[in-house]
Amino acid sequence: MNGLDAIGIRIETGAPGEDSGYALAILREIESLLGELITSGRAGRIDLRSLPLLPGDEARLAAALGEGEVDADIQAMGTTRVRETAVPGVWWVTHANADGQTVAELIEIALVPEILKTHPEDARAGLNTLQERIADLIRGGDTNG
Amino acid sequence: MADDRTLGEALAQRGISRRSFLKFCATMTSLLALPPGMAEVMAETLARTRRQSVIWLSFQECTGCTESLTRSHSPTLEGLMFEAISLDYHHTLQAAAGTAAEAAREQAMKDNYGKYIVIVDGSIPLNAGGAYSTIAGRTNLDMLKETAAGAAAIVSVGTCAAFGGLPHANPNPTGAVAVSDIIKDKPIVNVSGCPPIPVVITGVVAYFLTLGTLPELDSLGRPKVFFGDSIHDRCYRRPFYDQGKFAKTFDDEGARNGWCLYELGCKGPVTHNACATTKWNGGVSFPIESGHPCLGCSEPNFWDAGSFYQSLPTPTTSVKGAAVAAVVAGAAVGAAVGAASRRRKSKAAKARTPVTVDDLK
Repeated sequence: MNGLDAIGIRIETGAPGEDSGYALAILREIESLLGELITSGRAGRIDLRSLPLLPGDEARLAAALGEGEVDADIQAMGTTRVRETAVPGVWWVTHANADGQTVAELIEIALVPEILKTHPEDARAGLNTLQERIADLIRGGDTNG
Repeated sequence: MADDRTLGEALAQRGISRRSFLKFCATMTSLLALPPGMAEVMAETLARTRRQSVIWLSFQECTGCTESLTRSHSPTLEGLMFEAISLDYHHTLQAAAGTAAEAAREQAMKDNYGKYIVIVDGSIPLNAGGAYSTIAGRTNLDMLKETAAGAAAIVSVGTCAAFGGLPHANPNPTGAVAVSDIIKDKPIVNVSGCPPIPVVITGVVAYFLTLGTLPELDSLGRPKVFFGDSIHDRCYRRPFYDQGKFAKTFDDEGARNGWCLYELGCKGPVTHNACATTKWNGGVSFPIESGHPCLGCSEPNFWDAGSFYQSLPTPTTSVKGAAVAAVVAGAAVGAAVGAASRRRKSKAAKARTPVTVDDLK
């Protein structure tokens, strides 16, 4: 009899419904990143597509994080969906291309995800746009008046 | 005339928003397996750089690599790569022709000497003094050496440029060779495949533009992030291989159930590429998922590696005892089969016979 037989081995079948443990591992990483956000202000991110998730892992993760108050769609060469989970500061970001195919999926730990923020240079350009629109309105008022 | 706009300025003028570009960078960062936080770094870096001059040289090729990069059903994020570069010379895409086209190439070389990227598709013929393929009366060999002299880096796109490809197949009547057989003093990255997956091409360019270096390469000069795994090790039909469930013909019950295509000639165990994960046509499918065995098109000499429809050696006949005992560890079997298969591929290359109709039955 081979002594190796005494070692208990659990064969991973990867069948749907089996908990691989990945969801819990990711939650622990989110916990660590959220702690760092609180103490140092440094945002973090987890790329779900870089992880070897098994069927059911994403659903388990989503169920554990829950749904929060914010659900935003960004129309930028396809729809990007940004949802805050039930854990404030933890956001689920799904990028899709113009054909609706998911091209990236991220968990962002931040006060506000980067893609939701307005860039300072865009705000400067926006001020010029606004000033032109105000000038057009005034001109339109003068013509009618 | 040189384009002095930054990428950010070029995008703004095209009406492409900063958020669209950030999304493109997030996608590239994920594909390149860079830390997720690099997306903003990539976006900020690329937005502030002048558009990178790229000279695309097309030699002994079928244009499939350009088709792979440019075919899309709708404007795609990957198409944004064309905004990040100034494509100063490309036979298929440029408006100029004749001497005007050659003048554009020479001007781009002069304006950006030492800083432009050269992309090459197609092999380079050496027989008959290189006369088998000429452009503007000059041999491909001559044009490659001249253009490469001022290049910052060279990207060999497609198996022809990377390894010689179809023209290089036995008996190689034109004396076709790869770019790396000629250029020895420049950084070269091989993006092999017949054709390569388009996002692999754009990923390499995005990496270089952001970080100023080429990504980590394998022993054949291919980016490890895309070519590090074999098709076999990432194939969704792998569980069927491990269970011994194989399709025997293209229309039997096994084929209809999506079983492993090993016995129909799949070269997945000896082929490294991103097809099984990144897939094709925007992630829709890849050959195995569509029911056809992998041809091994990203490997050197795949045209001479025996019939596409003859299966690689099976573990019970060609693999040593220890590997057979490890059959539950699919990766170990894959590696052992891969080693045995490479020996057989090498033998097949020496005794190449044309594919016949019988091979397809």
